[in-house]
Amino acid sequence: MSKSDNNYSTKHLKWKLLRKHISPAQLAGFSLASLIGLTIVILAVQFHQDVRPIFDDEESFIKKDYLIITRAVSTAGTLLGANNEFSQAAIDDIQAQPWCRKVGKFSSNDYSLYATIGVGGGNSMGTMLFFESIPTEFIDVADSDWKFDPSKPEIPVIMSRDYLSLYNFGFAASQGLPQVSEGIISKVPLEFTLRGNGHNDNLKGHIVGFSNRLNTIVVPQDFMKWSNERYGSGLDRNPSRLIVEVNSPGDVKMQTYLEEHGYQVAGEKMQQGKAQYFLTLVVSIVIVVGIIISLLAFFVLMLSIYLLLQKNTKKLQDMLLLGYSPTEVARPYINMVLAINAVVLVIAIVLMLLARAYYLPMLQAMGTSGGTIVVALIVAVIIMLLISVGNVIAIRRKINALWIQQS
Amino acid sequence: MNTITLHNTLPNVFAGRGDNGSEIWLREVTLERGMHYLISAESGTGKSSLCSYLYGYRTDYSGTMAFDGRDIRQLSVAEWCEVRTHHIAYLAQDMKLFAELTALENIMLKNSITHHKSQQEIVRMMEMLGIGDKVNSLVAKLSIGQQQRVAIIRTLCQPCDFILLDEPVSHLDDQNNAIVAQMVTDEAQRQGAGIISTSVGNNVKISVDKEFKL
Repeated sequence: MSKSDNNYSTKHLKWKLLRKHISPAQLAGFSLASLIGLTIVILAVQFHQDVRPIFDDEESFIKKDYLIITRAVSTAGTLLGANNEFSQAAIDDIQAQPWCRKVGKFSSNDYSLYATIGVGGGNSMGTMLFFESIPTEFIDVADSDWKFDPSKPEIPVIMSRDYLSLYNFGFAASQGLPQVSEGIISKVPLEFTLRGNGHNDNLKGHIVGFSNRLNTIVVPQDFMKWSNERYGSGLDRNPSRLIVEVNSPGDVKMQTYLEEHGYQVAGEKMQQGKAQYFLTLVVSIVIVVGIIISLLAFFVLMLSIYLLLQKNTKKLQDMLLLGYSPTEVARPYINMVLAINAVVLVIAIVLMLLARAYYLPMLQAMGTSGGTIVVALIVAVIIMLLISVGNVIAIRRKINALWIQQS
Repeated sequence: MNTITLHNTLPNVFAGRGDNGSEIWLREVTLERGMHYLISAESGTGKSSLCSYLYGYRTDYSGTMAFDGRDIRQLSVAEWCEVRTHHIAYLAQDMKLFAELTALENIMLKNSITHHKSQQEIVRMMEMLGIGDKVNSLVAKLSIGQQQRVAIIRTLCQPCDFILLDEPVSHLDDQNNAIVAQMVTDEAQRQGAGIISTSVGNNVKISVDKEFKL
């Protein structure tokens, strides 16, 4: 097609005619508002996606909605020798609460325990230690090692991840000892000396996993039963810690109950329930704000286009009289709006990814690599589609309304 | 399209005025393809209203108008677009040119959807009407008479069954009137189209088969 032909093409002439009265300032205003709104919405969605793994923590050994409760230790109690154990009646009462699904008791060793770990070069470290066990159903670990066979006694242990951190970042760093990873320490052979009831045995053991939630050293219940019978005093002691499966860690009724009975929740699970609630709340508020800005942007564009169509009414009507269909007349405006929306969409996604690249290292320091970006992208596309469909419908309706002229 | 019929038609604004002797309003009128009609009228008798009804952009009338027997109120938007590009060529009294486009661009805006004439043919028509030097001039810079000639050429840039001209030569001298008349008649003949022309006095110099008083 020659240049002169092109100059007289329908598209060129239409655009030359209809672009008049287009206000770049209004369109820039719309684009900016739309961009801010959309970016806020998808950034909030993305942030929620990225932060959620911290709360969900699928790798945790303990499932989501478990609490570990103890009785509060008071100074007076220490002096008076009050016991901090849970009586069977107290356990039954907790079990009867509506927020409680299941209660498990912690049992601990009733004998002397000494652990030794080889640190290489023939050196070894040793310490007095304790074990606790809880029913296996409370441990969410599919590890085939999580069992104990008295005929081949080797002790599998789940350790609090905090203990390893304490060693790595506290002890090892200050003493010039090497830091160890979870993988390495799991391979290091442990030796436990169990003494009591006339027996004195050395048993091998190894760490099968680390827990974020269980702030203790856990062994299988089979082993605990066996060892307490063999080395212990034989007295049946009430547990001083309980693990409770609850419906919702943030439940207010549960909190009131725990406070009234002077029970404490170990770990952050309950705060986490609240934190997760507030995270969702804050993200929701931010999303709503973003949507409101997007809606305002949408109306700014609509006003701008209505104004434009109003100013061009005579021209548009005359074009219709030449035989142009309303669709053809609307097309330059629709294309313009779609182009703007597409650019806004792309820039919003880029801004969101930039912001994410900025905050992701902070989340990584908290042990999560972030969630998927697919959800935010889908949300972005859906919002822009809705806005675009709204724009297109409004433009077409406005132009269709010009079809019949008033006398 | 072979016939345009008007059955008992009356603009709403004339309702209740009674019969004022019009040969169009409140009458049974049939306009046939290939025939030349002149609708002579005094100002304010609804001449431009008639054209706007026939071109589908106003509907404020009572009675029925029909193309080939089909009530034009029933036509869809797409059908009207078809009428405006293939069946009725219309020159509005106010010409409806676009001031920000050049003379040629105005014509091409129509011709680019009908592809009825080549750019050379259009330029030749402009030369015949004495506006060959105004091809690339903005319409806003042309005199009313020159604009009228641009609008007439644009009107002829489409296939049609009827050419509807609302005071086509009101601003033209005798010489240009004659050229326009020849050009319109030639085009109508080529296409076998009818001509419906309105006038308040300065008639286009076309032989007329039938004249109506509005």
